[in-house]
Amino acid sequence: MHRFRKILLGSILGIAMLAQNASLMMNPDVKRVGMKLACLCGACKNSVGDCPMIGCHYAVPAREQIDQMQKANMEDQAIVDKFIEQQGIKALVVPPAEGFNLAVWVMPGVMIFLGLMVIYFYIQRLRKPAATGTAHVSTHYNELAAKDLDKLD
Amino acid sequence: MENLGALALILAFLLSVYAVAGSIIGAWKDRPFLVESARRSIYAIWALVTFASGLLVYGLLASDFRLTYVASNSNRDMSWNYKIAAWWGGQEGSLLLWSWILACYAAVVVFTNRNKFRKMFPYVVATIGGTQILFLLLNAFIASPFKLLSVNRGIAAVPDGQGLNPLLQHWAMQIHPPMLYLGYVGFVVPFAFAFASLITKQPGDGWIHTTRRWTLVTWLFQTIGIILGAGWAYSVLGWGGYWAWDPVENASLLPWITATAFLHSVMMQEKKGMMKVWNIALVSSTFFLCILGTALTRSGIVSSVHAFAQSPIGVYFFVFLGIGIGLVIFFILGRLDYLKSESQMESVVSRESSFLFNNLFLLASCFAVLWGTLFPVFSEALTGEKVSVDAPFFNRVNVPIGLALLFLTGIGPLIAWRRSSTDALRRNFLWPTVGMVITIAVLLAMGMRHFYALMSFGLCTFVTWTIISEFWKGAAAIRLKDGLSLPASFIELTHRNTRRYGGYLVHMGIVFMFIGFTGAAFNQNKTTETKIGEKFTIGRYEVLVKDIEEGDNSNYIWQNTTLGIWSDGNYLGDLQPERRLYKASRQASSEVTIRRRLNEDLYFNFASSSEDGKTAIVQAYVFPLVTWIWIGFWVVLFGTLICLVPNKIRPSGGSSESTLTGVREHAPVS
Repeated sequence: MHRFRKILLGSILGIAMLAQNASLMMNPDVKRVGMKLACLCGACKNSVGDCPMIGCHYAVPAREQIDQMQKANMEDQAIVDKFIEQQGIKALVVPPAEGFNLAVWVMPGVMIFLGLMVIYFYIQRLRKPAATGTAHVSTHYNELAAKDLDKLD
Repeated sequence: MENLGALALILAFLLSVYAVAGSIIGAWKDRPFLVESARRSIYAIWALVTFASGLLVYGLLASDFRLTYVASNSNRDMSWNYKIAAWWGGQEGSLLLWSWILACYAAVVVFTNRNKFRKMFPYVVATIGGTQILFLLLNAFIASPFKLLSVNRGIAAVPDGQGLNPLLQHWAMQIHPPMLYLGYVGFVVPFAFAFASLITKQPGDGWIHTTRRWTLVTWLFQTIGIILGAGWAYSVLGWGGYWAWDPVENASLLPWITATAFLHSVMMQEKKGMMKVWNIALVSSTFFLCILGTALTRSGIVSSVHAFAQSPIGVYFFVFLGIGIGLVIFFILGRLDYLKSESQMESVVSRESSFLFNNLFLLASCFAVLWGTLFPVFSEALTGEKVSVDAPFFNRVNVPIGLALLFLTGIGPLIAWRRSSTDALRRNFLWPTVGMVITIAVLLAMGMRHFYALMSFGLCTFVTWTIISEFWKGAAAIRLKDGLSLPASFIELTHRNTRRYGGYLVHMGIVFMFIGFTGAAFNQNKTTETKIGEKFTIGRYEVLVKDIEEGDNSNYIWQNTTLGIWSDGNYLGDLQPERRLYKASRQASSEVTIRRRLNEDLYFNFASSSEDGKTAIVQAYVFPLVTWIWIGFWVVLFGTLICLVPNKIRPSGGSSESTLTGVREHAPVS
């Protein structure tokens, strides 16, 4: 009875967890290609190569598919292309830097550049006009202020 | 009961409309009675929403499965604390929690400011009330938590509910959502004051002084919420990740980033009367990003494991955002003269500039995260093609920005307000730079070749040095002058300027977090199928699968494996990761085990067993330095609390302070 219960519980958990072949997750060749492909399970933002969800309904079959294609001597790029053919460009973990998708890569840099320009113009606009002939006065004043500060501290 | 709850929410909604209309018309037509009655309606809204929330919680505790919400998010065998947590476990309940927290905040704001800001306060009430309208509209009419289960127009009930998602049955999940909501909702208040100040052209920076602590507390709640979420993901999801760049995670990060930028740039306005438009824009952005984050979680616009459901409520949020952003832009453009800067920049090499660059990189990070999150939506709308923008994009863009921010964290305290002389720069930068170079050289000599990791560890040394030297110099001066012991001098120094030294502690916490983040560059993982009695290795550890056991209780079926751990021949103890299958929801979850140490965590997830129960499939990970993230969080928490303590010696504040006082307070102590 105890043995039966043990087998039953184990089976329920096993089915629920969709046990998979662990060796596929360790295969570096599968992982290398998998890292270029997005896991499209909808529950994570991982790649097929590093999705750690045991029983993931997308990453697990995708890894098996990659393994089979590699066994059929397909090149990495050909495998990736096959996935794009099946799923569209969303199969890639990040969109290729071409066409409209170039924007995803370029825009953060553009924003930083624009921000730098804004800071430059902001500083130019708010900067005090250069002092003429009073530099020695400012230096003198600063020295006095520094001495006062030393006393205060 | 359900009728009373629904009625309370409808009445609260009507009162919110009244609060907005009464405040605006009362202020506009100068009717104090109307303004006062609108103000008091905030208390009534609080009472009604509290009553409705109490009824929902009662329904959850009493397992009233006539209510759809209760049946969908709880079951009889759940413990009472998880039944309460079910309040925010689903769409309708979490929206009610939003409303309730907002009602509480509104009541506190109205009470504590009852005799202040006569001119602008009606607009504060109107802004908070306007936000309340959105949420109560959803609570009362669109996503009511008091909807009954019905069959053929008759009220029905099920014998037991579906239960709370098992992943949410974790202590961190009882605190994480309320903390995050306390943060999200709390940003309504600084925004309301800023907006009201803008509308009424209040002289001075009263709204900043009033909301400074409020903003800091809200920021702290948001920080706690985010870190609790990260801690929960790390120890529950079974893959050891604490941040996955999921759209909903990103949604919580966005307002945190802009709020962080605001907490820095607001000092420019307080001390120098500069960046007024910018600060209004930042505090408004923070508020609108909170609303956007809430919309993303609930509308199903972006796919996410965290999202509540695909629902039509997104449109209400986007209409609200459109109106709100339009109004803010309208008032900023109409009041540019009022927002004019009061001071000038004296030098590019100054604390002021470092704040500008700090804001630039924070905003760049915010933009990159927002852009990456929404790009798939834009791409599909404009080209008809679905694309994935996953973790590699976010990491590639944000790692260099993060390092730039870390660098600025180090140089900020070394540069004086107004200007820094070359001599002062050389004096202040020499030793931190030497420390950074030595760290990088030592790590290179030890064989580390990861560029970003080298930079990160080097910059962590740089920043740590600057912070320690700031404390050391200040404490040494006090010790010399007052004859105090060194620890007493540190406490005295911090107490004299809690905001400055508390801020340094927060920076120190961020450095610890960076150390933890950097460790991710050296993560190791392995998935094994190992028979009972056999061993596998990961990193420097040898792991023996000792046993596999299973059992059940009223809530779930479980199965675990006992793993014996050795390192260099020394036995370190047993770990017992577990898998559970919850009976009510038929969902599985992991109970991972982690051996936490300062240098690395050893992490096991028991994935499954073979059908004969003799082989364990185990995911094993080594996460170097990850504990420093959690240590960093506690330091951030401590530093923020220090910032909230009033100064022992209050400096004369305001933008009109004397030059000497301004210099004295902010120049590096050297």
